[in-house]
Amino acid sequence: MPVTVKEPAAGTGPGPGGRKTGPQRRRRGGIARLGPLPWIGPAVLLIVVVVLWPIYELIRTSFLNVSISGFVRGSAGTEKYRQLFDESGFGSVLTMTVVWTVAVVGVTMLVSLGLAQLFNKPFPGRTVTRWALIAPWAASVLMTAIGFRWMLDQTAGVLNTLMTDLGLIDGPKDWLGDPATAWPWMMFVAVFVSLPFTTYTLLAGLQTIPHEVYEAARIDGAGARQTYWRVTVPLLRPAFLVGFVINLINVFNSFPIIWGMTQGGPGSDTATTTVFMYQLKSTDIGESAAMSVVNFAMVVVLVLIFLKVSRWNKEDA
Amino acid sequence: MRTVRLISAGAAASALVLGLAACGDDGGGSEDGTTTIKLVAADYGDKASNASKVYWDDVVKRFEAKNEDIKVDVQVINWNDIDTKVKTMIQGGNVPDILQTGGYADKVADDLLYEADEVLSPKTKSNLIESFAKAGEVDGTQYGIPFVSSARLMFYNKEVLDKAGVDVPQTWDDVAAAAQKIKDEKAAEIPYALPLGPEEAQGESMIWELGNGGGYTDAEGNYTIDSEQNVETFEWLRENLVDPGLTYDNPATTDRKTAFADFAAGKVGMLNGHPTLIQMAKDGGVDYEVAPIPGKDGPLDSTLGVADWMMAFKDGGKQEEIKKFLDFAYAKENTLKFDEMYNLMPVTTDTLEEMQSNGKHKDLEPFFEVLPSAEFYPLGNTSWDVVSAEIKKSGGKAVSDDPGDVLGELQQKAEDTAADMGE
Repeated sequence: MPVTVKEPAAGTGPGPGGRKTGPQRRRRGGIARLGPLPWIGPAVLLIVVVVLWPIYELIRTSFLNVSISGFVRGSAGTEKYRQLFDESGFGSVLTMTVVWTVAVVGVTMLVSLGLAQLFNKPFPGRTVTRWALIAPWAASVLMTAIGFRWMLDQTAGVLNTLMTDLGLIDGPKDWLGDPATAWPWMMFVAVFVSLPFTTYTLLAGLQTIPHEVYEAARIDGAGARQTYWRVTVPLLRPAFLVGFVINLINVFNSFPIIWGMTQGGPGSDTATTTVFMYQLKSTDIGESAAMSVVNFAMVVVLVLIFLKVSRWNKEDA
Repeated sequence: MRTVRLISAGAAASALVLGLAACGDDGGGSEDGTTTIKLVAADYGDKASNASKVYWDDVVKRFEAKNEDIKVDVQVINWNDIDTKVKTMIQGGNVPDILQTGGYADKVADDLLYEADEVLSPKTKSNLIESFAKAGEVDGTQYGIPFVSSARLMFYNKEVLDKAGVDVPQTWDDVAAAAQKIKDEKAAEIPYALPLGPEEAQGESMIWELGNGGGYTDAEGNYTIDSEQNVETFEWLRENLVDPGLTYDNPATTDRKTAFADFAAGKVGMLNGHPTLIQMAKDGGVDYEVAPIPGKDGPLDSTLGVADWMMAFKDGGKQEEIKKFLDFAYAKENTLKFDEMYNLMPVTTDTLEEMQSNGKHKDLEPFFEVLPSAEFYPLGNTSWDVVSAEIKKSGGKAVSDDPGDVLGELQQKAEDTAADMGE
């Protein structure tokens, strides 16, 4: 399996550590004693400042009683978590977050797989269509979301007019006002903006599969279907996995699409946990921080699952 | 693989906490003998040319010319973000000296504000219209300084009502009957606009509740959000306006600005509005008229009055400078300019007299009339801002879900918050 990630993990290879045995060691004893620290120091500092410190602040805030004016009134213990779990919308928000993530990532991966394979085959106008696919990626997600919100507007929306003219619907509908129609539309937009990245990841994966493998398969008498399932799919797995996990985290955390289209409303009927966190911010920062901590825990679980799966992938190879 | 892990974990974590990370430098302080006061104000404009920043910059320029030792740092924030931003400022220790926004009482609960007496000269204070000054009190002490006001009346499109052949409604039943007629005659796309979306659900709800003798609190200031009258009000709305399709399909997600824009575009028959709508309707060429708001059995005696507030924070200790600035900002030439700029109503006696007598504000006359008897939100309750935010978020669902449940939950939250605030 030539494509599988086999290169040594960062830091364990012939890095700065290898220099210890070199002749330069005696001359530059001071710096050398620090080992790799001067090189990774800035990166570590950056991680501490932009990752670890905010996480610490986040967790601390979730145990605070912060008044609506932003004034810290002291410790709240676990009260904010209790309030959060008691919110009437909390259960349905969790459920919808799972549905949202699974649906959007699932559809994105499937459609991207098809698109990537299409783009991997030569056809007239391929360059143009490949460029065109970048458009949803290049545009700001918030802009796309707001664009769709207006296109779906009941009184002024061009999509409403179009669908009415085509006879698909009887008259203009308030698509985003009703959770039952708002969810599918938001999922559609989420898939739309996730496609370029995923397709290009998979396309890159497809292009690394050497021709020889296909030739060998053909000589062995494998049919098209067999070649696809036995050669393409296994060799595409690393790229697929990367695309899948990054999408999973992105979609789970997705804020601008939902905020731009419905702001999670009515109430929190179209909110995922990330949007719900933001809604809570308007009434209780502590409770909102508690939601963030829960959210963070879920992302950590996702990442751990990813590590587990990727290791399995390595062993398998 | 480890790099990937770091990147994704880092990306995930920073994406999560971005919304809550609060940072900011501490402004103010005195170097070279001048004192800087920080003014944060809401933006009342709807385009670049009438942004409130233009107004405040001008006021500050003239003020600084007169007071060379005081600098004013102006920050104008749009209505959607101002509450959150101010909250972040306070939490981050970067407290403004003067704030002009929609509510004040939550800051009183945390003892953050100067009393009005401490930052207004007696002359400026006595110039405030009494009912508004009163609405700025918490437990008998005035902290909130009214800045502008408005009152609500019913706007209707004359052409639409003529086409449908209906008279101006006086009661709820009239409203429903007129709306049905408008729908039957196809005189307007939206017969009655009922915006219960997050922008101002608390306002539209209160207007309707007042029509049934309800409201948010009783005479003692205790919350009565799920009172029988209120539940009945939303049941009526659902059965008579929402279910028959006489208003928007989803009032709970329809904002006031949508309703106003639709009215100005001639798509709406009737709605409750405030003076800003006058200019919008004129610009849209809509032949409108205003009338008292219909209640269950007859027009409302007292309509909803809304005031926006000015307040001064103790944190920076710049009492004298703040006082100088507020006295300057509340001079007639400034308040008049602001009120005329946005067609808002004054909160000071001299400006009110001027606006009523200078003949330039015929449009506002019906509003001036109802202003003295207007009912306010329970502004003096320090928990009101939280309660109001909850109503904005889910109050509109009372016309789609079970009103008893929705209002019951809001009542529960209101009581919890009030207890939390020590009311």
